[in-house]
Amino acid sequence: MKYGDKVGLYNDASQCIAEDVPIEALSPFYNPYMKDVLDLFKRTAFVNLSKLQSCLKEGKAGWETVIGQDECKMPWYGRDLPIVEHAEEIADRIRDKIGKFGDGEDSVVVMADTIIVKIPREVMGIFASRDPVYTWTMVALCQAIAEIFKIDPNTDLDGCNMLKAVVFGRYPQSITFSPGAPVSGFLKPSNVVDGLGAEYSGITVNHIVAMVNKRTMDGLALASILEEAAQWEMGNAVGWYERYNLLGYAYEGFNANNLVLDLVKENRAGMIMDVVHSTVRRAIEDKVIKVKKKFASGYKMYATDNYPLWNAYELAGTTAAVIVNCGAMRAGQAAPSVLAYINDGFTIETGGLPDPDGGRMEGVGIGFAFYTHSIYGGAGPGAYTFDHVILRGSGFIQPPIVAGMCLDSGTQLFSPEMTSSAFFKLRDMFPLLQNPLEKVAEAAEQIKGEIKKG
Amino acid sequence: MAEKTKSEYVPNIYPGKDTVSARRKKLWDKSRPLLKYRSIAEDDITQLLSHRAVRSAYVSVHPPLEELIEPYDPIKHIVVPTPGTRAGDRIRFIQMSDSFHLPSIAPFGRQRLYFSRFRGIDTVVYSGREILEMRERDLEKATKMLLETEIFNPGRSALKGITVHGHSLRLDENGLMFDARRRYIYDKDSGEVVYIKDQMGNVLDVPVPVGPPLSEEDCKKLCLTYSWDTQPYKARTELFEMMSRSTKMRVMAGFNPEMINESM
Repeated sequence: MKYGDKVGLYNDASQCIAEDVPIEALSPFYNPYMKDVLDLFKRTAFVNLSKLQSCLKEGKAGWETVIGQDECKMPWYGRDLPIVEHAEEIADRIRDKIGKFGDGEDSVVVMADTIIVKIPREVMGIFASRDPVYTWTMVALCQAIAEIFKIDPNTDLDGCNMLKAVVFGRYPQSITFSPGAPVSGFLKPSNVVDGLGAEYSGITVNHIVAMVNKRTMDGLALASILEEAAQWEMGNAVGWYERYNLLGYAYEGFNANNLVLDLVKENRAGMIMDVVHSTVRRAIEDKVIKVKKKFASGYKMYATDNYPLWNAYELAGTTAAVIVNCGAMRAGQAAPSVLAYINDGFTIETGGLPDPDGGRMEGVGIGFAFYTHSIYGGAGPGAYTFDHVILRGSGFIQPPIVAGMCLDSGTQLFSPEMTSSAFFKLRDMFPLLQNPLEKVAEAAEQIKGEIKKG
Repeated sequence: MAEKTKSEYVPNIYPGKDTVSARRKKLWDKSRPLLKYRSIAEDDITQLLSHRAVRSAYVSVHPPLEELIEPYDPIKHIVVPTPGTRAGDRIRFIQMSDSFHLPSIAPFGRQRLYFSRFRGIDTVVYSGREILEMRERDLEKATKMLLETEIFNPGRSALKGITVHGHSLRLDENGLMFDARRRYIYDKDSGEVVYIKDQMGNVLDVPVPVGPPLSEEDCKKLCLTYSWDTQPYKARTELFEMMSRSTKMRVMAGFNPEMINESM
């Protein structure tokens, strides 16, 4: 055990799941549940067969926006193939082509009209990127359909082209696949991820909200698992920043010491600044900060020799403030605004202690508030991914934004139901995604003994 | 975890002993009520906001919360929704602009006031404007406070839903802030500022008087900003110390969070 910090982990009913957990147990390197979730996200592709069938029938391919899916229609090249009926056969053929490189784990599963493909670990280990999720799945899928329906350049030249266009979209003329295309994955293709190591950040907020079925604290946990992994991948949690990040996510995402919920309960009918005051009071009581100097006006300046922990308290306070404010309004739109301006509150209240994430959250929050409001235009917070150029400045903003969107009662144009309806189903398909907050804590409880031994 | 001690914590709110600091401290402390300067009828506020016809029913964006079927989430039972949220009201906005010339409040100050005194808010600060979005009936209630109390100076603050330009321009001959849409005029007979258009610039059937502009002396007394004719540069000792410490600590925290210590 490298660090002395230990926390208790609580579920969203304020029940303690794990006590005395070293913060290392909440690292993606040690926590087995986090590893499983990241593995699932990294290796999984989805083939939506009914979408494929309808696109192929209508000759619809290569669209460039979610709402403009009939942008290119070539019904004269349409092919009416009973693809959904042949789901099992297609899956078998994909398994033959991909599964043989694995260790025997069943790599292809059919669920209703969707084929779920898990690229074997061995394959992912050899390649430099995680793009086989797309490339292998797409090529294997095209081959399977060509084999089953006997499409080749001799029998049906245009059918070959149409099939390629439906599966690959305009690629490679355009570097992106069509949004909402029949083949998709949890993560974006690596060539469209904005920034090094930002892959796990590149998941749309509403997808996460849908995967946790709008349960706020679970949303915080799942978003934190992904964002924490992204921060490690970016190098933002190496060395000096390791404890800082571990503590930050423990308090912000995994409800360490029940701090977030305590602050929410204390201010259930309160304002945003009430949460700031409660956070400062709690930090003084827990001896995280203390009065350093008192000015003539009575204004007190606080000091800390444990900034990573004070930062974690601030992040918990910020998250609680988002929950209190968005919960009162039951609207996700207010989350960026809290992130943008609560920082001032913390700095002024403590006499200049660094605000959450050392000012990065404020910078990102202001940009995000601009982009999500008509003052600048743009989309609702739910439609963003956090590899976006204005959002990747701080690693701690994704969880509160997800929490805000979980609390939305239907005010958003870009609602989870609109942008991410398929992801509500994934929760049923993958029991792993259910109750992430409790599962992280249970996994931490399992391994805490080993970590303490070092 | 260290043993807990019962703290005698009293929120700081804001540093400084001078009058501007005192103003800021008052506005951002929700335990101190704001002085009421004028009364504006609820129907007039509805007209000025221009989101619904006077006395018409509130339009809803979703069914009332009690009728809404939602997946289980304990948090939704903990946080208390506002009345507008409970009813499923639309989210509507008010946008205020404040002059540079001895304003009773400025956009950054509005944000802190909103954070301290309102629930269920969404706000964005810009250089000379501040938008506030809330559920419709909550917004109307908040607007009443924004227009009736000491933070509203009819001459130097204005409702500007669109075409906001003008906060840094010279005042007109009557001491009013510039407005390209001429939403408000100075009525010399009554001595009051009168809105002849709503915040979106639509002509009102019946003009809405919002009271006389504050005298220059009152403007100075209620001013929220530091300047040579209110509180000069050197009055801000505590504030400067806090700000320079904050700036330095942020840089150090960003460089290496473990480097922060109690001596800083």
